[in-house]
Amino acid sequence: MRETWVVGAASNRFGKMAESARESATRVAMAAIDRAGLEPKDIGYTYVSNAFGISEHQAHVGPLINGGLGIPDVPSCTIESACSSSSAGLHEAFAQVAGGFIDAALVVGAEKLSHLDTLAATSYFAIAADYPFETRNGATFPGLYATLASAYQSAFRTTPEMFGAIAVKAHANAARNPHAHFQKEISMATYLASPVIASPLRLYDCCPFSDGTAAIVVAAKEAVPRPATEPLVIRASARSGSITEMQDRPDLLGLPATRTAAAKAFRQAHLTPKDIDFLEVHDCFTIAEVMALEDLGFFPKGTAGPAAQDGVTTRDGRLPVNPSGGLKAKGHPVSATGASQVVEVFEQFNGLAAGREVPNTGTALTHNVGATGGSCSVHIFSRR
Amino acid sequence: MEELPHASHTIAEFVRGYEEGGVLRGFHCPACDLLTATWSLACPRCGRRDLEERTLGTQGRVAAFTLLNVPGDEFLNDAPYAYVVVELEAGGRVTGWMPTVRSVADLAIGDPVHFVPSYKPGVQFAKDRGPSPGG
Repeated sequence: MRETWVVGAASNRFGKMAESARESATRVAMAAIDRAGLEPKDIGYTYVSNAFGISEHQAHVGPLINGGLGIPDVPSCTIESACSSSSAGLHEAFAQVAGGFIDAALVVGAEKLSHLDTLAATSYFAIAADYPFETRNGATFPGLYATLASAYQSAFRTTPEMFGAIAVKAHANAARNPHAHFQKEISMATYLASPVIASPLRLYDCCPFSDGTAAIVVAAKEAVPRPATEPLVIRASARSGSITEMQDRPDLLGLPATRTAAAKAFRQAHLTPKDIDFLEVHDCFTIAEVMALEDLGFFPKGTAGPAAQDGVTTRDGRLPVNPSGGLKAKGHPVSATGASQVVEVFEQFNGLAAGREVPNTGTALTHNVGATGGSCSVHIFSRR
Repeated sequence: MEELPHASHTIAEFVRGYEEGGVLRGFHCPACDLLTATWSLACPRCGRRDLEERTLGTQGRVAAFTLLNVPGDEFLNDAPYAYVVVELEAGGRVTGWMPTVRSVADLAIGDPVHFVPSYKPGVQFAKDRGPSPGG
């Protein structure tokens, strides 16, 4: 395999986009290519994710983006893996570039949901679950994670303040991220006073519905002799799956796909959790961050909540988690989320994260989950 | 042309089973003993292919649940309600919803519940009568 880098990455501000996902994807992709110091003609393949594009009456958006970039002859395909779509795109791009089939690839994820009302958006999110065996029984996306939270609370000693500490941290970080949907801090009192959406999850336990777009340029080391920026060396690109339905999982205290994807990634990279300086994890709900940090191997089961309360995972803590603000406060534009986690690593590595810098940026891990864990991606990046 | 592999029942037959026949149809894995309602050609735990048709039990206990205040479009007029994972006494787990649970205080993990045939969509459960173990 060839050494493969992320050489450019860009994002718009998450929240509400006036433009279509197609326009946004094209503009952000061009910005990522510019940051890489490349031209669109250098791209050998485009991997697009736009899971809810059908709500904009648009499928097969890859050729439209490539046309808008002036490279209509470059092949493209759409990658859908629910909330882990664009990290799945990165995984495919890595395989093509590392395997020597192409020298550079574009990965772009874009989502627009703001033209839908809350009911329609809630229903769109729920279709990534098993329709006849979960959604048709009344499940929503918050409802499924809330069910996991109830099992977790039953097994371990938890307090609302443990989950609140994660929400407060997320907002503190997002307040310093110009890409973030919510650029305001919240207090523990605000968290505790927020209404219950799906018990035990409060409003401030939940990520928002966000529009947003993120793009990454992946290239072989040998194809970029003089990189324009500090590249991210892709040390591991691992994906895993697991039983989707909660009714068939051996336990409800974590996500099995995270455990197996993490094991693959650490094995590929010849690293352990002790080698990771900071992480971007999939915190669609505060309970998801707790389970992620435990399933990835950073904390024993039942201890990630107390660690958050002790400040271990703040930007200046021992293990900074989600300096971007995470899905929880940066926002969660489904198909853009995985790529946006890599944008955060790129900006931290390149001194572009002013005001939210983490102390050490040698090695970082990104963790991106599809729905309630039917899919999971784990990537590990290091400096050259 | 060769016949394609098929399961003992379809998803549509599973839905008709609980909506019209009052039964929860499922599959049993003879290798690892998994009992599941989820439609499958092979066991999701161990991969064994000759799954057996089983009628699942109707009595169980709540393994995990949430009280949903913000529902999806098919349950718009039913919130609040509980979404539950139920550990069946006869083996296996199924998910369902409980329209009669209107408050978090109405349900606890471990509470005994039973399947209720209903004209409404989805697998429905109701609490057994009597005090719950959680008080």
